[in-house]
Amino acid sequence: MSEKRPVFALENLRVWVGEKEVVKGVSLAVYPGEVHAIMGPNGSGKTTLVQAVMGHPAYTVEGKIFLNGEDVTAREPDEKARKGMFLAFQYPVAVPGVTVASFLRAAVAARRGHDVPVKEFRQELLRRMEQLEMDPAFAGRYLNDGFSGGEKKRLEILQLLMLQPVFAMLDETDSGLDIDALKVVASGINAAATPERGLLLVTHYQRLLNYVQPHVVHVFMNGKLAKTAGPELALELEARGYDWLETSVGGGA
Amino acid sequence: MASTALPWTTPFASLGDPSPLSHALGEPAWLADFRQGAAEQARLVSLPNRARHLWRFSNPERFLPNQDPMELVPAPAPPPWRLEEDLAAAVLLSSTSVQVVHLSPEAQRAGVVVAPLGHAPVQEFLGKAVPPHHGFLEALNAAAFRPALAVLVPAKVRLEKPIRLRLVASGLSLPRVLVVLGEEASAEIVEGHVGGSKGSLVLGVTEVFVGAGGELCYDLVQRWELPVTGHLTSRIVLGENAKAQLALASFGGEATKVDTGVVLAGKGAEAETYGVALGTGTQHFDHHTEHIHAAPQSHSNLDFKVALAGQARSVYTGLIRIEEQAFTCEAYQENRNLLLSEEARAESIPELEILNEDVRCTHGATVAPLDEEQVFYLKSRGIPHHQALRLIVYGFLDQTLSRLPEKTRERIEALVAGRLHGEVL
Ligand SMILES: Nc1ncnc2c1ncn2[C@@H]1O[C@H](COP(=O)(O)OP(=O)(O)OP(=O)(O)O)[C@@H](O)[C@H]1O
Ligand SMILES: [Mg+2]
Repeated sequence: MSEKRPVFALENLRVWVGEKEVVKGVSLAVYPGEVHAIMGPNGSGKTTLVQAVMGHPAYTVEGKIFLNGEDVTAREPDEKARKGMFLAFQYPVAVPGVTVASFLRAAVAARRGHDVPVKEFRQELLRRMEQLEMDPAFAGRYLNDGFSGGEKKRLEILQLLMLQPVFAMLDETDSGLDIDALKVVASGINAAATPERGLLLVTHYQRLLNYVQPHVVHVFMNGKLAKTAGPELALELEARGYDWLETSVGGGA
Repeated sequence: MASTALPWTTPFASLGDPSPLSHALGEPAWLADFRQGAAEQARLVSLPNRARHLWRFSNPERFLPNQDPMELVPAPAPPPWRLEEDLAAAVLLSSTSVQVVHLSPEAQRAGVVVAPLGHAPVQEFLGKAVPPHHGFLEALNAAAFRPALAVLVPAKVRLEKPIRLRLVASGLSLPRVLVVLGEEASAEIVEGHVGGSKGSLVLGVTEVFVGAGGELCYDLVQRWELPVTGHLTSRIVLGENAKAQLALASFGGEATKVDTGVVLAGKGAEAETYGVALGTGTQHFDHHTEHIHAAPQSHSNLDFKVALAGQARSVYTGLIRIEEQAFTCEAYQENRNLLLSEEARAESIPELEILNEDVRCTHGATVAPLDEEQVFYLKSRGIPHHQALRLIVYGFLDQTLSRLPEKTRERIEALVAGRLHGEVL
């Protein structure tokens, strides 16, 4: 799709949870400006894949993870994030006592490598919150503490916009949103889909893809990419489900 | 006055005569008599049985002085205190001296008294909240206390700015603080414990009385140097419709035992205790709180949080007592402990003594390790490991601190942040 170097690539990535192999060899490359979608049945290992890529300590990883051409497989999650990797969590974690504003200020300073003056930071934060139709009062609330499902998802997108990653994985950011919230979140994702950046959307639904056009759609089943094709694949999955792919597992693209 | 080689059973059997001490401090006869009476009691006390709940978790022998408590050993002058905050009064106490560093003109005009205990009219109050028979260390303090300070805020006087007491540990010190707030008076008092070095021992007692309708904020902030051992007992007695907010913060010391409480003695009294402790290394904390509801329609709330790293250890026992005649009371208590390492240990033991049916009372206690999902979430945003831990611990403690008045909260938050950066994480 591009002559450029991929912003993100996996080389035969395998992931274990204890003794159990959940991701069984995934290779893919995301080029600048590309949006990829990963779709797959419940429990197929999509969250495990993206969490392991980000560096969750519960997983054992084999294979290679590249960010902007650099092998980051062995890096700590915070190093990966500072280098420009981002993961919007399927289930964002509450950190009571830490306000959204103080958390984001620390995160932004870490990503940019320098402190941002309070006033400047506030202005930027408020502008982004407005863009996502969030009440400014959220800045003073404790991180994800008592947030509704939709509020948590919006906050993930707010972080995406504030942190300006090179490559972002969004794990079911569209789940549990009403139509209005879905539109807002989708517009946030589209704003993040710049020509330099790569995005990987994990989703169950075509409805997100009506708003955010993917270039590549992967089907993920039993720990592997069962099929890779263009956006039309998502529509086909919507119509036919996953069963018809069962036999082709292991075939890949 | 040979008081070395104390037998374990009656540790102060050979306690000397307190009158030379009393004389040296220029104390009036009533105070000399008080000390004499207390010394007689102290000579008879025995070391607490370790099975008794307050001493189940801390060895009482750790708190025994290894010098004659009656002997006035000169202490080094405390380092000068540069006041950064606008205060009603500031008093610097070393193990042998009481120095009123500041008393604002407004406080003076209002008749506020800040003076060595022997020079203030507090005879009717001394020993009434923490009597000599409270325990073996309280008996010793009553006989041999110094430095000693009295703070009197006359009725209806409302102090806008706080009174700060800085108690500097060195060698052996037995500080005693006595505070009396008149009816409808209001004040914030910060009792800050600092200083000390290897071998320093602090055995302190604080008594506070709040008259009807009075409002008190009392901040007990312990940030001794790490080798200090200390035992601090305090009681606040509330009159009718009086309110007290007690802020506890324990950071320093090798072994710290705090026995603090509020007696809701007047109808409609309200007490809130909010506290945090933060420990690391081999620090040992033993906190006991009491909310004693002795009058009807009294309310109390307590929230105490402890975070421990290294091999630090904390024990918390929290007593709520609602007496027979104290109808229609409400009492809430919560203690949560966060363990940042595998070797850290915390225990939490609520104790309820509810002697009538017409009450609302809840309590809760948790001890939990650091949540790895929280750490991962913060790290996934680029926040380095240690900063992530600091944020989590700070947030954990700050949920409690956020209940305090803004200024108080900021003051303690700064200490939490400093300690997190400096030593704990
Ligand atoms: N930390 C873990 N401990 C135990 N089992 C795990 C862990 N992480 C993942 N698994 C297991 O791995 C499998 C894949 O789970 P995963 O959450 O990755 O699926 P998913 O494709 O994201 O599903 P969904 O569509 O429901 O979100 C499941 O069987 C799950 O129980
Ligand atoms: Mg999932």
